[in-house]
This record gives sequence, structure tokens and C-alpha cells, in this order.
Amino acid sequence: MNDKVTPKFKPGEPGYSDLSAYDKGLVEKAVRGGHSRRDVLKLMAVTGVSLATAQNLLATGGRAMAMTPKKGGFIRMASNLHGPDDQLDPPLFTSTIDYTRGRAIYNSLVQHNDDLTTRGDLAETVEPNADASEWTLKLRKGVEFHDGTPFTADDVIYSMNRHMGDDSTSVIKSVLASIQEWKKVGSHEVKCILNTPNADLPTLLGLFQTKIVKNGTTGDGIGTGPYKMDSFEPGVKSVHSRNENYFREGAWLDGMEITAITDPVARVNALIAGDVQMSTVIDPKAFRQIESADGVTLLSTPAALQVGICVLKNAAPGENDDFVKGMQHIQDRERIVKRILKGKGTVGNDTPISSAHGPDFCHELPQREFDPDKAKHHFEKSGFKTAELYVAPVMAGIEDVCLLAQANCAKIGFDLKLKKVPTDGYWGAVWMREPLNVVTWNMRPTAQSQMAIQFGPGAAWNDTYWNNERMGELLQAVLSQTDPVKRHDMMCEMQTLIHEGSGMVIPAFSNINDGIADNIMGMPKVPLGQLGACEWPEFVWLA
Amino acid sequence: MMMQMALRRVWIGIATMFVVSVIVFIMTSILPGDVAQIVLGQSATPETLAVLRRELGLDQPAYVRYFMWLGDMATGDLGTSKAGGAAIADLIGGRFMNTMVLAGLVALISIPISIFLGLWAAMHPGTWLDRTVTFGTLSTISVPEFFIATLMVLILAVNLHWLPSTAMLRDNMTFLEFMRGMAMPIITLVIVVSAQMIRMTRAGILNVMSSPYIEMAILKGVPRGRIILRHAFFNAIGPIINVIALNLAYLVSGVVIVETIFAYPGLAKLMIDGVQTRDLPLVQACAMIFCGTYVILILIADIGSIVSNPRLRHPK
Amino acid sequence: MSESENQNGNQNEEVGQEVIEQLDKFDELPDAPPKRKLKLSWIGKISTAIVVFWVVIAAIGPFIAPFHEMDMDGDDSFLDAHSNEYGTFYLGTDYLGRDTFSRIIWGARMTIGISLASTILAYLIGITLGIAAAVKGGWVDMGISRVNDAILALPSIMLGLIAIAAFGSSIPILVIIAGIIYASSVFRIARALGLDIMVQDYVEAAKVRGEGLWWIIKSEVLPNAAMPLATDFGLRLVFVVLFISSLSFLGLGVQPPQADWGSMVRENLAGLTYNSWAAVWPAFAIATFTIAINLIVDDISAKSGGSLAKKMV
Repeated sequence: MNDKVTPKFKPGEPGYSDLSAYDKGLVEKAVRGGHSRRDVLKLMAVTGVSLATAQNLLATGGRAMAMTPKKGGFIRMASNLHGPDDQLDPPLFTSTIDYTRGRAIYNSLVQHNDDLTTRGDLAETVEPNADASEWTLKLRKGVEFHDGTPFTADDVIYSMNRHMGDDSTSVIKSVLASIQEWKKVGSHEVKCILNTPNADLPTLLGLFQTKIVKNGTTGDGIGTGPYKMDSFEPGVKSVHSRNENYFREGAWLDGMEITAITDPVARVNALIAGDVQMSTVIDPKAFRQIESADGVTLLSTPAALQVGICVLKNAAPGENDDFVKGMQHIQDRERIVKRILKGKGTVGNDTPISSAHGPDFCHELPQREFDPDKAKHHFEKSGFKTAELYVAPVMAGIEDVCLLAQANCAKIGFDLKLKKVPTDGYWGAVWMREPLNVVTWNMRPTAQSQMAIQFGPGAAWNDTYWNNERMGELLQAVLSQTDPVKRHDMMCEMQTLIHEGSGMVIPAFSNINDGIADNIMGMPKVPLGQLGACEWPEFVWLA
Repeated sequence: MMMQMALRRVWIGIATMFVVSVIVFIMTSILPGDVAQIVLGQSATPETLAVLRRELGLDQPAYVRYFMWLGDMATGDLGTSKAGGAAIADLIGGRFMNTMVLAGLVALISIPISIFLGLWAAMHPGTWLDRTVTFGTLSTISVPEFFIATLMVLILAVNLHWLPSTAMLRDNMTFLEFMRGMAMPIITLVIVVSAQMIRMTRAGILNVMSSPYIEMAILKGVPRGRIILRHAFFNAIGPIINVIALNLAYLVSGVVIVETIFAYPGLAKLMIDGVQTRDLPLVQACAMIFCGTYVILILIADIGSIVSNPRLRHPK
Repeated sequence: MSESENQNGNQNEEVGQEVIEQLDKFDELPDAPPKRKLKLSWIGKISTAIVVFWVVIAAIGPFIAPFHEMDMDGDDSFLDAHSNEYGTFYLGTDYLGRDTFSRIIWGARMTIGISLASTILAYLIGITLGIAAAVKGGWVDMGISRVNDAILALPSIMLGLIAIAAFGSSIPILVIIAGIIYASSVFRIARALGLDIMVQDYVEAAKVRGEGLWWIIKSEVLPNAAMPLATDFGLRLVFVVLFISSLSFLGLGVQPPQADWGSMVRENLAGLTYNSWAAVWPAFAIATFTIAINLIVDDISAKSGGSLAKKMV
């Protein structure tokens, strides 16, 4: 920050500690709610606090939240989905509730920081060789599973091998396809040998599904993690208590209950009524309700959670470039962010990369604007007068985005029909099959993996069937590019290719929105999933 | 006579359960996607799908799987959930109890209320009292359940903080805690089912009131209250028991909305989850329970109406 | 009952007078003996007016609604009544900034149309099969009855869920699903009525006269079953409206942007906490329509005095 414009705090004016509990709450709420510094300062100015005091309040308010954690308390968390398919077996994790249980019970080799860098978890160090084709992992010593068995390299080899081979049903099998072999070097050292060099390997080792289980087990709820599992009923709840033997600081709570309330209105009501302390996936309709309620905060983390409409490039009407352009120009992006996402989101530019990806985001790429005339021109040129878009509520607000597009299409004489289908069966029967469908992806830790997964030529989940050779070359080349300027140029070229050529319509990115009780401290803000990418069990404590 | 009827009913019950299992089998097999696709979701690849299908035995023809299930069922084996791998008996056990407890408590409260209000309204037809009951029951019948439930949560839990907003049950709760937890779903369901039972009780009694022997009693000058309690009620009890039985069946199988809003782990939601994950053995197990409940309740209703009406004991 | 007339000395005359008085009173009660002429009470008349009002709205709704059901022209979501350059939002806006008033008008067509069509379909299927089962008996009866029991035993919302997942949720599909599900209840009534009527003397007589099966159904069974079945119609209609709205709870039901009252309640539930009436108005519309239908049913069944209740279950 520029020192010249930062007024010095004058002693004698009220500081953070002088505020009433209510005002403290206000400050903290503002800081945690994702308000910009500017907003908060403005807010304080209204209440008659000098700028210097406000700045100081903000700083100390931030510090107050970093107060010393203390042990004790119980948290009940309500996720959005659960059912008889709830899993304790990491390779089959597919939902927030699975990820959360996984994080409470197990550990991965590495974990993600809030800024998407990585740090060691069960691995103390993760070191590549010169060309990043062979990685050496030194494992933490003295770690024990909940049943007292010591953690060794064998557990790592066993767990990681479950993502590989013909018999693997791991959901990240294709993501980890570049790994050729895991080799045991010593009792606490392993080597990971890759087919192709990959400088981003550590981020992959921190995925939700890469949790380390005990050698020979298939997810029986015994791990090295901060909480032991006391009981588990699929589709009902699981109850956990602190692992007193946890190998590092953390695991502050006495226990937690992980459950789900599938009705979005009931989930918010339960949070406000104080029956649960955390609720995931808050519908934009309920933002105001949470923000105006006492004792709860809306936790909104900017993320590249795409609100996506896939237009298949290998079939009519998407094979016609003008049709795709029409669909892209009819998106009223500003209004989507403002009215549908209620400000908790960012405008998208028809690429999967957002500013949340940091320096890899191509801000030079001109923003595609809402332009009904252009859309009309492109639709007319394409020769199509109508199209049918399949919609399932795969994320909050996506149906509303399609309704807005439909209303805007109607105004220019294009008939965009919506076909609403249930979410169950959607991924198998509609997505990547129907010519127009909706999609969302959890944000991936790197821009490269985000683009590779959806836009790599021939990639398993290339959901618009847009195969571009140049794209494939760049995806490969960027992995070994170390010069930041050249790397950014390559990133930009890829985003331009997608922006210009693919069938992807991404009018906006949603923040990750969760509600938590005000007395929950230490929330991580990793933007890769709900509630700090489900990393919270290790870190949170109750004030 | 009674024995014969009961035997015939058991036979019909078994036939109905068989038909239900066939219908469920046919319906679930026309659903798009299978359990492997649902479990792997967005992350499915053709390769992992093939492996998982083989692991779950989905590579066999559907009818083979059906007959294997039928064979297991005949020996009392409910099988394991295809989606999560848990034993279905374990998945169902706790929820079965929850469902029965909720249905039982609701019945315990709503049946006396309904019969009382229904009788009361029938005793004073056309009065403001009757009209109030009629209007009240019609109002609650005609508003969607989720509206009533959400309104209750907003008033009683969010604003007044009298009751918890969800029915999250824990082990070793005290009786008072348990009842507080159950209060919201119970109140909502009592409102929903009582309305229909009150209406049918009133209609049933007014119907009997127009039969010749009641007219005779009226002509003889028997007071109206006594006519209803002594004569009409026992003759109307058949249809009333039938309505109660159908409502109880609904409380066991049809309360998915209440279970969802109050996060109450019961069977109705489990069956919907089973359908949504294409978990055929789980759906079948739930269907068998629901069908069994229905058959038993209807049997009890029939026996009830025969016992209460001597004429039915000796048919022409 | 009144005892105030018991002043006269003559006991017989007293009793006689009282009985006559009671009969007079009785005649006006809802459970009075059958009258051929259909005379509605004032409640029945108001109810009829309400139903006619909604049916007219359903017919002409799209022509009189100030906005199209898909227009998002309101200033913001969950607002109270306001005006802007596009027009006036008399009942405020819904969660997407659409005009609640217009959507209720558009929704009338959807809600009333689907419920009427489904109920009619349920009656066609239910009566046909019910009377067929009653008349034919034996294995035909056994077969149809078991399938019917199976449909009754399974939760209707699950049947709806499966059918929509399999066939998609177009309006014809919704009508067919609801029609089949509610046909099972109609079937029970129709079959019971048919069995009753088949053993009546006039049917026996017709058989003896050598009349054909179809003639018996057409001339003897149907006319006698008509009245009780007609009075049950209203209740079924309500159940269909509620069934469609409960599908919307699972995210199914009519296709967006089409408005139906049940799904309007559902999608605007979150607004209740903002004191928005967007969820209340459609609930109110459902209530007025269904309560009115049922009050008419009450009126008719009170006048007809048939043994309806016994057959209803």
C-alpha cells in the first residue's frame, strides 16, 4: 500500500477494542463478507468515524480475527446434497459433503493455500528433478492413523495407485493420467514418475480425491486427519470427534456433525435459526436474508465458478460459428452479475479463466459485451430461427441466466426454447450429448488444468467438442515455460482461441457463497470449492 | 368367514407386491442413465464407467438382475445399495423407525382431532361453526405443503425461536428434546392430513344421515346429537376408517416434502434418493415396504368396517 | 333443536307439530333428501362466480396481462407494487423481477388447463376400466385391480418423478402422468359403483330380457353412477393442482418460463422473509380456485344426498 495516502492512526481516537460487541461484529462482518476496503471505509465514514480510525479499525479488526485459536465447541454443517451414494472412499468423492468428510478424516500429500499455491500436508517436501518429470516426496514421520497404525510410504503407494490402472474407477483417473508410476524409495520417501513433464504436479496431489487411506483399505473412515469418525449414515449424517493425536496444530473443535439439508430455503432458515452453524451453496435469492440476519455471515469467495452454456461444435446449430456468436452476444453479462448473482460474481468473457486465476488471466482480451443488434445479425446470418437449450439446476442461478437469455432472444425475434430436465442423470444423458446444454465446473487450481480439462483436443471432458491443434500445443508447451512474460503470452493466446473459436458461452463467474455463524473463526478461503474448498475442518475454531 | 377373507387378502397382498416390483423394475429401467453414471457424475469417462458397471454387475441383462433380486428377496436378503455399497437393511433400519415414529405420532394427534371436529361439524350442519371448520380445512387442503411448512419454520423457528427449524435427531436426546425436534414436522403433517380426514368424517356422517332408518329416527324425535353418536357414526365408520388408512399410508410413503424441508431422515425421501441415483435394489426395498404397509392398512380398515357394521358380517 | 313450542296441552298434536317443524328445517339442511333441481346456496353461488372468473381469466389471460410471463422488466426482484417505464407492477415483482400480477394471469391457463385436462383424462380411464372390471369380473377384474393397487401403493410423487425423468416434462406428459395416477382412485369408485349397480334388480331384469352387455352399461350402469362420480370430480381437481405443485418442489413440473401457480409459490418462497408477497399471491390464487370448486362440490353433494362418501375411498 502506498504510505503517502495512508493516514496515521492518532492515539486517543477509539480503536477496535473500544468498540461495542455489536460494532465489532459489524466490522468483522464487513471484512469477512468480501466487501472491498473502500466499501467498508465508506460505511464507516457515514457513521462518523475518521478515515484514520477506520483504517485502524479495519487493520485491528482483521487482526482480531487472527486471534489465538482456542479448543472446544461443536459445529453442525449442512451441505446441499447427500444420499445413499455418500462415500468415505476418496477416489469416488463427488460432492461437497464427501469432500468435507474426506478433509475431516484424511489428509492429502499437499494442500492448497488461499492464493492457490501449495504447501506440504502428509508430504514434507515435494521436489522435482530438472525437467519436472520425476518428483521426490519426503513424507512426514511420526504420523499415526486413527487406529494407531503408523503412516508410511506403503500407504501412499497404495492410495495413489488406486487412481491408476485398468481396474480403477477413480473420478480423477484421467486427471492423473500423466503419472506413470509411484515408487517407494524408503519408509518415508516416494518418487512419482511422470509420462510427460508437469511443473504443476503438486496442485494435482491436493485434489479432493487424493486423500491417503491406510494400506489395503477402501475408505473405512480411518485416516490421519484432524477428526475421527464416530458414526456415519449415508444420506443422513456423520459425527466426528477431535483426533487428540493430530500431528500438527489444528482440530480445535471438540466435534462436528456433517449433514445436508437439500431444500435451499430450509438450509438458510436452519442457519439463521441457529440449528446449523454452516450452510453451503447459498442461493442468490437468500443473500439479503443472511446479510440482514443477526449472528450469521455470508461468506462470498471470488472464484472461477463458471456459469456455462455449452454449444456443441460437432452438431447443428453449434457447428455454425454465427450461431455461437449470437448466443454469446445475447448474454446480458452486467445484468447477470448484478441481478441474478446479486453482485457476488464477476463478468465472464467466454473463457473459463477469471481474475481469480491471478496472473494467468488474460485481462488484455477485449470484453465481449451484451449487444442485441450484433446477436440478431449473427442469428440471422446463421439461418437459425429457433434452438432448444437443456437446463438443469447444476448451480444456483444458472436457470435464471437461461431465462434472461430467452427473454432477450424473444426481443430480437429469436425463439430460444428452454427444456428443463432433472439434475440426476443430467451428466450422463444430456451434458455433452444435447446440442445446447448448461455446465459448471469447480475451479481448478491452475489456468492450465482448467483449460486442459475442457478444451484440450480429445480431452475426455471437452464439452463443446472443440478440437484445436494449436490449443493442444500450447497446453503442452506452457507446462515447461518458466519465463513469466512468455507464459502469460501463451495463456493469453489460449484464452483468445477459446474466446474466438470454441462453443463455450460463459457470461459470468459466480462467487462461492456459503453462510456461517459469526463466531466461527479461522475460515480458509481456498476458492476451489465450497467453504474454503472444504479445508475448514482442520482450521476453524469458535470464538 | 373372517379367516377366509383374511387369507384372500394375504394372497391379494402378495400379488400386489409382485405387481409393484414389476412396475418399479420397468419404470426404473426406462430412466436415462444408470447408477454407475450417477455415481461418477460429471467425472465419468467411458473407461471408468465400464469398470464400475462390471463391478456392480450392471453388465448383465436387466431381467437377469431382476430375477436375482427376486430370488434374494424371497430369502429375505435385501441386498446392498448399488450407489454407496452399504447394506440396504442398514440404510433402511433407522429410517424405518423414524418414519413409523413420525407417522404414529401424527396419527395419534390427528385422528382424534379429525373425528371430533368432523362429528362436531356434522352435528351442526350449515351453522357458522360448520362453515368455519369447512373453510379452515379447505384452506389447508388447497395450499401446497411446502408453503405451510416454510411458513411454520419462518414463524416458529426463525422469528420466535420456539422450536428448532429442522428435526435433526441425535442419539441420547432427552424425551423433551426429542419432542421439540419432532414438533415442526408433526405440526405440519397434522395440519395436512387432518384437513382431509375432517372433511371425510363430516361427509360420511351427513351421508348416513340421509338414509331411511335415520329419517325414521328423526321422525321418532330422537335428538340429533344422539342420532349421530348412536346410529350414524357406527354406520359411517367404514368409510372413515378407510380414509384414515389411506392417510396413514400417505404418512408412511408420501411425505417426501416434509422430510426434505425438515431434514428428517425417513423412507419417502430415501426412495426418491434411490430413484435419483438409479439404485434399483434400494428403490425396490422401499417399494416393498410401502406396498406392504398399504396392504396391511387396507386390510385393517376392511376388518374394522366389518366389525363395526354387523350387516357386512353376513353378506347376502 | 328447539323445544320452545312445547307449550300446548295436547301431547299428540305437540309431537306431530314438532316433527313437521323438524322436517321443514331438515329440508333446508345440506343433508336433505335428494332434489332433482340443482339449487345452490349463496356460498355455492359465490363459489361458482369465482370459478367462472378464473376460467375466463384462463381463456383470455394472455390478451389482458400487462406483461408477458417471461418479461423481466421490474426494477428489481421481490419488490412491492411499483411503476417504471415499462408499466405498472400491481402486485410487485417475483424473484427475477417479473410481474407477479401478469404471471398469475398467465398461470391461470396453465394451472386450470392442466388440472382440468388431467382430471378429465383420469375420469375417462378410471371409469372405463372400473366399469369394465365390474362388468367382466374374474381375471380381468383381478388383473386391473392389482395394477391399480400397485399405483395406489406407490407414492404419486415418485411415479411423477420417474415419468418426467424418462419422458421429459412437456404439458401433455404432465397431463398423462397426473391422469394415470388419479385414474387409480377413480377406478376404485367406479368399480365399487359398478358392482353395486350390477346386482340391482333393474340390471338383472335387463339381463333376463336378453339385453347386450354394452346396452346395460350404457343405459343402466352409467346413468346411475354419474351423480356420485361427478361430485368427486372437484376433489380430484384439487389433488392434481397440488400434485403439479409438489413436482415443482423437486424441480420438475412445467417448463420455464411458463407460470403455474404451484411452481410460482415454490420459486418465490425465499421472498417470504423479505415480506415479499410474491409467493403468497399464487398460493391465494390456488386457494380461491380450489376452495370454490370444493364448496360447489359440497353444495351439490349435499343436495344429491347420494351414498358418495362410502364410494370415495
